[in-house]
Amino acid sequence: MSSEQPEFIQPPDTLKDKVDVTAGGVDLDALEKAEALIAGLQGDYLSWVEGDLEKLQEFYKAAEAAEPADRREKLRDVFSVAHDVKGQGGSFNYHLMTTIGNQLCRFIEKLPEQVSRGQMEVVKVHIDALRLVIAQRLEGDGGRAGSNLVRGLDAVINKVKPAEEG
Amino acid sequence: MSGYNLERLNFLVVDDNKHMRALVKTILHALGSKNVHEAADGADAFKELRHFPADIIICDWNMSPLDGLDFVRLVRTGKDSPNPFVPIIMLTGHTEMHRVIEARDAGVHEFLAKPISAKGLFSRIRSIIERPRPFIRAGLYFGPDRRRRQIDWKGPERRKSGAGNAQVAEDEGGLSQAEVEALLNG
Repeated sequence: MSSEQPEFIQPPDTLKDKVDVTAGGVDLDALEKAEALIAGLQGDYLSWVEGDLEKLQEFYKAAEAAEPADRREKLRDVFSVAHDVKGQGGSFNYHLMTTIGNQLCRFIEKLPEQVSRGQMEVVKVHIDALRLVIAQRLEGDGGRAGSNLVRGLDAVINKVKPAEEG
Repeated sequence: MSGYNLERLNFLVVDDNKHMRALVKTILHALGSKNVHEAADGADAFKELRHFPADIIICDWNMSPLDGLDFVRLVRTGKDSPNPFVPIIMLTGHTEMHRVIEARDAGVHEFLAKPISAKGLFSRIRSIIERPRPFIRAGLYFGPDRRRRQIDWKGPERRKSGAGNAQVAEDEGGLSQAEVEALLNG
């Protein structure tokens, strides 16, 4: 153990010199406009998320074709794309993509070394659900269809635990 | 109505996902920023910093070859770091408490959970503008003061212990509840 005292350093406050409060600065109106601008990118999002959905399918197929002992490693690619999907959907009012993407990530990270067929099915059903959300344009919470979808996925996860053996 | 004018601030956006970079850039431009540079990973960003004097860095966590945490450590403690004090906002989908602690202990100023919004991003920028924090060198840690709240701490003074970053307990009064909640509910 060292008895060294912590050293406090006051960094130069360059921001203070560069940021003024002005009439054209960021106010509530500017923030609303910025949010509206993001909302206007929804069409772009729907186009690029198709690419993510294709990647999810492709990586899932590669994991499915692998031996059970190699599947977890292969599913890291699925995790990576699902993590992106989770992080983006909500920005464009596709909150279900965030919810389902998150659930898929949490499931994959708890998988055992040997990934069973049942566990692979759970991964697949989540990928299918993400595709459904986009195909049916289930914006926001997706209404009744959205809650049915999330409830169904919860039931599947409860039936096939990520830590299930064999 | 008036507000902070971000026109003169230099932003560096670091994310391996081009769509996320575009989204952050769109928000920054909408908020009046003119100088926004991009980098696709930590190594690129470090190179960029050599000739672009960023005032604020907005950085993703998951990137390769150099991820967000390694990049933050490199900026803070690298011998050839162009600006060890530059404020860094970490964007992350990792909202678990231990991840938050890990990022904080690498020396980030602010966290913003994905999916992001213009209001969320601006609130972190405003926090950096309004509450500049002193830097601390304590044990293995070098970065902005992690103690944002003054609490009546009765335990041992950990800053003197020389303990590693990872040994900072989760009960330390570093993160405000609102910040953690914002992350966890993000």
